[in-house]
Amino acid sequence: MAAAGSVRAALQVAEVLETVVSCCLGPEGRQVLCTKPTGEVLLSRDGGRLLKALHLEHPIARMMVACVSSHIRKTGDGAKTFIIFLCHLLRELHAITDKEKDSFFSENIQTHGRHWKNCCQWKFISQALLTFQTQILDYVMDHYLSKHFLSIFSSSTKERPLCRSSLEMLLGAYFCGRVGRNNHNFVSQLMCDYFFKCTACESGFEEVLELVDDCFVELKVGVTGLPVSDSRIIAGLVLPRDFSVYCPADGDIRIVIVTETIQPLFSTFGSEFILNSEAQFRTSQFWITERTKAIMKYLQKQNVKLLLSTVKQPDLVIYCAGLNGISVVECLSSEELSLIQRVTGLAPFVLPQASSQYELSNTAMVKFCKPFILRSKRYVHLGLISTCSFTPHCIVLCGPVQGLVEQHEDALHGAFKMLRQLFKDLDLNYMTQASDQNCTSNPLIYKNSRESNDLPEIVNGSIQRPYQDTVVKNKDELAKTQTYLKAYSNLVVPSVELETNILCSTPTVTLTSVTYQTDATLRCFSPDKARVMDDHEPFIDSNSANSTAENTRREISYENLQVTKNARKGSILPVRYKSLEMCTYQSYCFSSVPAGCVLPVGGNFEILLHYYLLSYAKKCRQSEETMVSMIIANALLGVPKILYKSKKGNYSFPQIYIRALHALQTNQPMISNQTGLESVAGKYQLLTSVLQCLTNILTIDLVINIKRQPQEIYDQDSEEEL
Amino acid sequence: MSRLEAKKPSFCRSEPLTSERVRATLSVLKGIVTSCYGPAGRLKQLHNGLGGSVCTTSQSAALLANLPVTHPILKILTTSVQNHVSCFSDGGLFTAILCCNLVENVQRIGLAPTTVIKLNKQLLSLCTSYLKSEACGCRIPVNFSSTQILLCLVRSILTSKPACMLTTKEINHISTLILRAFLLIIPENAQDHIILGKSIIVPLKHQRVIDSTVLPGILIEISEVQLMKILPIKKSDSFKVALFCVSLSGDLSDTGEGNVVVSYGVSLENAVLDQLLNLGRQLVSDHVDLVLCQKVIHPSLKQFLRTHHVIAVDRVGVAVMEPLSKVTGTRPIGSLDSISPSSYGSVKGLCTAKFGLKHFFHLIPNEATVCSLLLCNRNDTAWDELKLTCQTALHALQLTIKEPCVLLGGGCTETHLAAYIRHKTRSKPEGILRDDGCTQTELQLITEAFCSALESLAGSLEHDGGEILTDGKYGHFWSVQADSPSVVNWPDLLSRCGCGLYSSQEELSWSFLRSTRLPFVPQTCLPCEATGSASNLTLDCFTAKLSGLQVAVETANLILDLSYVIEDKN
Repeated sequence: MAAAGSVRAALQVAEVLETVVSCCLGPEGRQVLCTKPTGEVLLSRDGGRLLKALHLEHPIARMMVACVSSHIRKTGDGAKTFIIFLCHLLRELHAITDKEKDSFFSENIQTHGRHWKNCCQWKFISQALLTFQTQILDYVMDHYLSKHFLSIFSSSTKERPLCRSSLEMLLGAYFCGRVGRNNHNFVSQLMCDYFFKCTACESGFEEVLELVDDCFVELKVGVTGLPVSDSRIIAGLVLPRDFSVYCPADGDIRIVIVTETIQPLFSTFGSEFILNSEAQFRTSQFWITERTKAIMKYLQKQNVKLLLSTVKQPDLVIYCAGLNGISVVECLSSEELSLIQRVTGLAPFVLPQASSQYELSNTAMVKFCKPFILRSKRYVHLGLISTCSFTPHCIVLCGPVQGLVEQHEDALHGAFKMLRQLFKDLDLNYMTQASDQNCTSNPLIYKNSRESNDLPEIVNGSIQRPYQDTVVKNKDELAKTQTYLKAYSNLVVPSVELETNILCSTPTVTLTSVTYQTDATLRCFSPDKARVMDDHEPFIDSNSANSTAENTRREISYENLQVTKNARKGSILPVRYKSLEMCTYQSYCFSSVPAGCVLPVGGNFEILLHYYLLSYAKKCRQSEETMVSMIIANALLGVPKILYKSKKGNYSFPQIYIRALHALQTNQPMISNQTGLESVAGKYQLLTSVLQCLTNILTIDLVINIKRQPQEIYDQDSEEEL
Repeated sequence: MSRLEAKKPSFCRSEPLTSERVRATLSVLKGIVTSCYGPAGRLKQLHNGLGGSVCTTSQSAALLANLPVTHPILKILTTSVQNHVSCFSDGGLFTAILCCNLVENVQRIGLAPTTVIKLNKQLLSLCTSYLKSEACGCRIPVNFSSTQILLCLVRSILTSKPACMLTTKEINHISTLILRAFLLIIPENAQDHIILGKSIIVPLKHQRVIDSTVLPGILIEISEVQLMKILPIKKSDSFKVALFCVSLSGDLSDTGEGNVVVSYGVSLENAVLDQLLNLGRQLVSDHVDLVLCQKVIHPSLKQFLRTHHVIAVDRVGVAVMEPLSKVTGTRPIGSLDSISPSSYGSVKGLCTAKFGLKHFFHLIPNEATVCSLLLCNRNDTAWDELKLTCQTALHALQLTIKEPCVLLGGGCTETHLAAYIRHKTRSKPEGILRDDGCTQTELQLITEAFCSALESLAGSLEHDGGEILTDGKYGHFWSVQADSPSVVNWPDLLSRCGCGLYSSQEELSWSFLRSTRLPFVPQTCLPCEATGSASNLTLDCFTAKLSGLQVAVETANLILDLSYVIEDKN
């Protein structure tokens, strides 16, 4: 059976998922209880986990869940926001199609034909979304949003000292959405303490985060049956097993790691040992015993007090270790081994071939090694001396039930992932303002000035050549205008840049194109001015009342759509693509969101981006861009709407929205009533992931349902070889 | 061959607590646990229709382990109680009932979960800080110079488990035994860091409870045949002991991953046996008197040892290895040749003993912190129950050493605590509310729910239709027998409060627990003479009860916070 992959279907799926995840969103969110097939119960507010636990059947839903989990794996945050945002985007798109049906598809087109036509249309939209994601989003982030960013570092010097209170706010906000509401303060405090205890020096926290994220499973100990408040941080490393032999020792203790049995065996893999006489057997056994003893003696002479082994050692080794005062811990997992190796830089001990007397090189020191009892279960507690910037500490997580402990573990692990992302620079690249301007203005010019497509091409060629010569110069100019742009309000920018363009080009361009260019500039100026005038009117409208603002917005989008339609028809389209090609000579702008950028929590990012996207949409003349920007801007509001759902009066969403818009228009700082911060990089990545997911959904035209047992996929290459 | 199967979609339910079915199952569970609570609690008989033994119990550990629970919410509740019990042994029913009561009471109010959870947490921290404070009126510090309070604690635990089927005399006997067993495992030369020893419970079923006893050292059960083989033990005041953890059966140890080819005519068995006999010779020449082996000893070696007047006992099992090495001071030997003399240990005495129908080999230590508690009871189920109870009591004593205080039992702590919270929230609501954005009315409602949960917990101690009263001075728990005349002089009917601290001689302005009462200031700071004079108090383990209270409130909060249940049907 095949079903049409439509926005309608996707929207229905997304809406169902939205109802599930929105109940756990934000500080007011509640818990969800999941049962595993084994009968265990698990508490969760983690969107990714919930979506997986649902075991959805619907193909589109499964695709969404796959997108969410790949996003989560990377960033550790934002699964719920992902679904909500996606749902709102689909809702906006759906609303648009409904309208279009009224206006464009009222003619008698066959339903099937309509379906295909729809699909084509979705393809265009998805392409527009991609362009948005790759170009406009980065541009808006860099030019407008960046001035609102706060930093988690207390000063912007090279050492970048971490500000404890901002980190606390950041983690507080993160755990608000991830763990039960009576525990989030405690857990975030615990995490903060842990982070600062593990970070030995100010600068090495990236390394610490990386290590903790990679080895988190080994660094936590879960204990059930105790109240959550008994959770604590312990210095050193706790291994979930008992000593095979424990010999108390004081002071610094020397340790070695072995990865094979110390006692030699009769035969190794792939070899054969032939026993010819009983005497031979006796001597070989005697040799084995003596050899084992010799090795243990050697270790003792080298003052080794602790032996960590990845394999089970025979009784003889354990006995000899006890006699020589060496404690033994057996059966270390490979993860534990790699953690110890990363912390101490210790390589496994290679058994000496002969009873040599050379100095043992592969040893490390520990401050202490002692048994550690937690809830009448014994653990090995090692005080590793670190050679990297990570000071080993363990988190003991307590909770009345396993499900709660697991929730806290997941949340902590996610928080480390989130911090790791936060401390990375986020690269933004987009085409510069000037090139954008050219792209958008050119087609209009061509349309107005000429009927045929042949001529502009020639003109393009002629313009292109001189431009290539002055590329370097042009770049410098652009850099200047860039700084200029940051300093002053954006109203002045377009005219200035256009002027520079003309200045660069005029001397070398032929006469005809000069006239053409001047013509173009004139034409360019007038719409610009008109747009500047336009910009103010809707703002005043939105000030007056929320409802009217929404009305105007809807009208605008409607108009834009018609423009899109017009643009797609006729011969203008190829021209525009050509001009785009022409424009690419102008360099891409590489910028970045610096590491540690944060914004206050509570939909601040969404409202800011909403505002700037709207104003961008009003400025840009390209109808597709406008439409996409509008859709995304409106969908962004979905998250703060849910966050403030239960709030009343002054803290209700419309009130907050209007206040924020007002603050932005009058260039006042936005006042947030909530204490808490969130990572800008995380939000940005979320937005791009959602857009990618949406493009995927839109490009699907048919879902084919196969009723057959899933087959194993054979390796094609191996068959060919046969 | 593996088979790929598509996963079934999960079952998702919203607002699980509002459903009638969940409420019904919760109240069934509440009924089960409530009726088990306390000395007068009713017993539950659990039996599986498909076979297996019948379990008669009133303990949460046995009850919840055997009770199949399907609904996820109940599962959360029972697992959290079971986890608590596995940590603290005591207070499982207390936790379960309190949690059920809280969920039920809060649901009746119908406030938003956010507010409820916030306030519940505030009230909990109020309780814990009060219980931990010096001023607490329901906490008695333990004086280790007298065994009075410890004995009361053990007796209270035994009394509260009616399924043990003990008479008062038997309870007294067992309590003394438990206390003695506990005192035996405390090391004599106590430093600042005490490492407790181990008391091993040895089963002796179908015997009179009075025959139970406690012995220092370790009892190893041996069959009668083995006993015959053991020669009369020579008189001595010290016996040299060798303890093997390696098998002495003559099997070839691990030969590695490759092949071992044995030529025709070569007998490895003989070679290994030779090795074993060599070992035997070394043991004899080292004047070892007793050889113990975790695994099997080869019969030839056994025979060899016997002819040289060495006692050999094998198959002692891994469980007793650690206590054995502690008692004898040996290092478990893992080698077949060349034993270091430092590995040997010694015991003060060796004897065989017969308890009931079983024969034991008794190792009497020089000075060690291991003892054996021989526990007798009439039948299997009662013995199982008694064993659990003894473990609980021993654990409670250990916890009391760590935190040297006990709480008043018999419902008095609960009623007192409820009175204290009522008083606190009424007199200083600002301190509790702070900046949470909750109103005073909400606080009063939640306080009422919280306190009545505590009080009805205390009330579930009464199973025979009696009335429950509380006094207006101490806030303690008093119960009246059923069918008492309605208008009476209270002091005539009441004798002592639930914990036994106060008698009805004083005028204490009693009132029914169910009725609405004016909040009052319960008297804090126990008078010292009160604790000294009363000889027969009902007491509870402090750590277990405190943690039980925390776990109950935390679990109730968890359950109240649920908005969806996703059930995986695979």
